[in-house]
Amino acid sequence: MIIRRTLMALAHPRKVAITLVALVAATAGLMLYKVRALGYSLADVLPVRQYEVSYALRLDGHGGDVRVRTFLPASDARQTISDERTESTGFHLSQVLDGPNRVATWVGAQVPDGAAIRHTVKIVPRRVSYTIPADLPVPTSYPASTAAALRPEKEIQVDAPEIADTLARIGADRGPVMERLRRIHDFAHGLTSRPFKGTTDALTALRLGEASCNGKSRLFVALARATGIPARLVGGLILEPGSKRTSHQWVEAYVSGHWIPFCPTNDHFAELPERYLTLYYGDEVLFRHTSDVNFDYRFEIRTQLVPSPRAKASFTFLDVWGLFDRLKLPFSLLRTILMLPIGALLTVLFRNVVGMPTYGTFLPALLAAAAGETGAGFGALAVLIVVAAVATARWAVARLELLHSPTLAILLCAVVVTLVGTSMLADRLGIAGLTHVTMFPIAVLAICAERFYLSLTEHGPRAAGKELVGTLVVMLACYVVMNSLALQVLVIGFPEVLLLAVAANVYLGRWVGMRLSEYRRFRGLLGAGAPGGAP
Amino acid sequence: MSLLAAARDRIRALLARREAVYGINRRNLVLVYPNNDRRDYPLADDKLLAKERFAAAGVPVPETLAVCDGLFAVPGVVEALRGRSRFVVKPANGSGGGGILVAGEWLPDAGGWRRAGGALLTPRELARHLADVVFGVHSNQLEDRAFVEGRVEPHALFAALWADGLCDVRVITLRGEPVLSMIRVPTAESGGRANLHQGGLGIAVDLATGHTSRALHHGRAVERHPESGAPLLGLALPRWPEILEVARRAARAVPLGYLGVDVVVDRERGPLVLEINARPGLEIQNVTGRALGDALAALADAPSGLPEPRAAGGSAA
Repeated sequence: MIIRRTLMALAHPRKVAITLVALVAATAGLMLYKVRALGYSLADVLPVRQYEVSYALRLDGHGGDVRVRTFLPASDARQTISDERTESTGFHLSQVLDGPNRVATWVGAQVPDGAAIRHTVKIVPRRVSYTIPADLPVPTSYPASTAAALRPEKEIQVDAPEIADTLARIGADRGPVMERLRRIHDFAHGLTSRPFKGTTDALTALRLGEASCNGKSRLFVALARATGIPARLVGGLILEPGSKRTSHQWVEAYVSGHWIPFCPTNDHFAELPERYLTLYYGDEVLFRHTSDVNFDYRFEIRTQLVPSPRAKASFTFLDVWGLFDRLKLPFSLLRTILMLPIGALLTVLFRNVVGMPTYGTFLPALLAAAAGETGAGFGALAVLIVVAAVATARWAVARLELLHSPTLAILLCAVVVTLVGTSMLADRLGIAGLTHVTMFPIAVLAICAERFYLSLTEHGPRAAGKELVGTLVVMLACYVVMNSLALQVLVIGFPEVLLLAVAANVYLGRWVGMRLSEYRRFRGLLGAGAPGGAP
Repeated sequence: MSLLAAARDRIRALLARREAVYGINRRNLVLVYPNNDRRDYPLADDKLLAKERFAAAGVPVPETLAVCDGLFAVPGVVEALRGRSRFVVKPANGSGGGGILVAGEWLPDAGGWRRAGGALLTPRELARHLADVVFGVHSNQLEDRAFVEGRVEPHALFAALWADGLCDVRVITLRGEPVLSMIRVPTAESGGRANLHQGGLGIAVDLATGHTSRALHHGRAVERHPESGAPLLGLALPRWPEILEVARRAARAVPLGYLGVDVVVDRERGPLVLEINARPGLEIQNVTGRALGDALAALADAPSGLPEPRAAGGSAA
C-alpha cells in the first residue's frame, strides 16, 4: 500500500504550498501597504465616465471681421479637463483668465459665410456633496474676495424690499447658515418651473412665482446675499450624450471658506451630480459675438469609460504610468503589456481545465491584445482571413519541399500581402474596422497560420479546425477580460496582482483533475463500476 | 423520480471513477514528470539514440543498415544501399510517421527500387530524400539524422490485420513493468500510420494472456477491420511472453520510468522494439476499457509489485 501511495501522490507538496502562501501573502501585504500607508483607494480602480464636449459654432461672416467670445471649462476639484483642441480655419483663438473664468475669443478677418469653429474638450466630472454644520452661524465679516458676491447686480436685486419681505416670510432672515440656505433653496425650488430660454431677473421670478433655471438661480442668489451669505451664479451644461443647445444655471454659496453648489431647479442641496459641467461663474452670457453673423451653436456630447484621473494621480508607487507618459508611450501599450499575463492565465484555464485546444499558450492572449485595435469581431475575422490565405500559400510552398527557415520567411511575406490586401479591400468596401488589420502583429499571425498548417498536415482537418476554433474562442474570452478597464487599472495600480496570477498558475500547474473535455472522452470508463479484473 | 436517482447514481459513479481514469493533467503530474527526467527525453525522441541504448542492453531492434548524419554522408549511404532490397529510411527525430520512405525490391534493370505503389525509386530520389531528412524538413528542426533499417516482415497474424503497413504492439510500462497493452493497426484512412488519432485502430490485448478482447476505431467498438474485414477479436498473439519481456528490457535500458514501448513481431526474428515514447497517449484506456489508475493499482498490489523509482533521475521534475 505504501507503494501505491507514492504512485498516486505528487512530489514536493510542502514546497508548492509554501510558494502559494508566499505569493498570496506578498500580494495581500503589498496591497495593504499601498492602501494603508500610501493612501491608494481600491475604489479608484473603477473606470469613470469621460465626456467629450464639442462646441460646434457656425456663422456667416459675409467677408467681414468677426469676433466670438465664450467660456471654456477649467479644471477644478470637481472636474478634470484634458485633451483640449480647436479646429477653426481662419480664426485666431486667444484665451485670458478672468477671475475663475477662462474666456476664449476667436477673431477672424474676411470671414466667409458658413464659417465653422469647433472646440473640443474632454472632461471627467465628479459628483460632490457637502455637509454644512447645522449650528454654524452667519459670520459678521467675510474675506474681501467675496465682496462682489454680496453686492446687488442689475438682475439680482438684493436691496429690493420684496426680497427682504420674502426672507422674513420664509424665515430665512434668522438662524444658522444651514437653515437659511435650506429655506431659500426650498423656496426657489418651489417656484413653478418654466422651460423658457430667456433671461429672468430675480424680482420677476419672485413676482411671477415661476421661472426657468436662470430665474430660480438669480432669486436664490438675491435672497442669499440679502441674508448675508455670499452667493454667485454658475453657468454650465448638463452632460448628456447627444447634441444640445440648452445650457444650465445653478448657484454657489460661500460657507466656511468653500463655495458650495446648489441647484434650485433640479433640487440639489449642497451637492451636484456628476453630469454638471461648470463653464463660468457670475451673471454672464455664454456667447457674445459680432452682430448680424447669423450665429448658431450646438454642444455635441459623447461619453466613454476611462481610467479614473484620481487613480493616475494617486497610484504613484514605482510609477510606471507616469513613466510611460514621460516616455510618450501610449496608455494602450502599458495596459496591453500588463494584461498579457492575465490573458495567458485565462488560456491556461481553457487548455488545462476545459480542455480546449489552442495554438500555444500565448497566442490567444497576443491575438486578443492585437484585436484591441480592430475590435474583437474584426480581429477574429482578420485571423480567419490570414490563416486561410497563408495556409493556402503554405500548401503551395510545401509542394516545393523547402527548408524550414525559408518557408517561414515566405509565409511572413504572404501574411504581409494578405494584411495589406485586406486593408485595401476593406477600405474599398467601406468597412472601417477591418482597415486596421495592418496593426495586427504580423509575426503572431504568421505563427498562427504556420501552426494551423502543421496541425492540418499532421493531425488532419478535424483537429486543425478544432484548434483554430479553440484559439478564436479563447481569443474572444481574453479580449473581453483584457479589455476590462477596471482590471487594467487594478493591475497598473497594484501590479502585485500579477503575483496572484502566478499563484493561480502554480495551483493549476499542480492540478491533476480531469479536463472537462476528458469527461466526454472517457465517458465509457467513467460510467464503469468498480475496477473489475482484466477483460 | 427514478430518472433523477439514476442521474444521481451516475454522477456518484463518475465522481468515484475520476481519480482512476487518467486525464492529461494527472498523467503529466503523476506519471510523466516524476518518472521521466526532461534531460532524458532525447532518448525517446531520437530513435537512433534509443537504438544505441537498446543495442547496448541487448534489446532486439530492427537492423540498422546505414546512418546518414550530414549532407556529406548522403552519396555514401546511397551507394551502400545500391543493390539491397527492402529497407526503410526514417528521420531520427520524426514524429507521426512523417518523412518515412519505404523501399521495396532492388530492380537491377531499372537501376532503382520498387516503391509501395509499384513506382520506381531512383538513387537520385533517395539521395534527395536523405538530404531533406538531414536538413530537418521532416522533423521541424534545423537538422536531423537519417537512418536506414531493414524492413520488418510482420508475423502472419499481424500481416493478416493489415497488409500494407506495420501493426505494432504498444505496451505502457511504469518502471519497467507492463501496465496496459494494445495493438495499433493502420487503416487506409490513417495513411498507413498506426497512430489512433490519425484514424488508426486499437485492439485491447490482455496482459496476462496475450488475447485480444475488444477493438476501437474512432471511439466506436468494432469487431472487424473496417477496410480489410479481418477479424480483430479473440486472437492469441504469437510469442506474447517474449513481447512483454522485450518491452520490459527496452524500458529498463533507458532511465525513463514511464513509457509507451512499441514492439513489432518479425516473422523470423520475433519481437523487436521499434521505438519508445516518453509521453504515451491516454486513448489506450478507452481501447482496453481499463482506467490507468486501476491498472496501476493492480500492478502495485500484485505479488511481484512495482520496483521503487530509481534514485538517479527518478524524482526530478
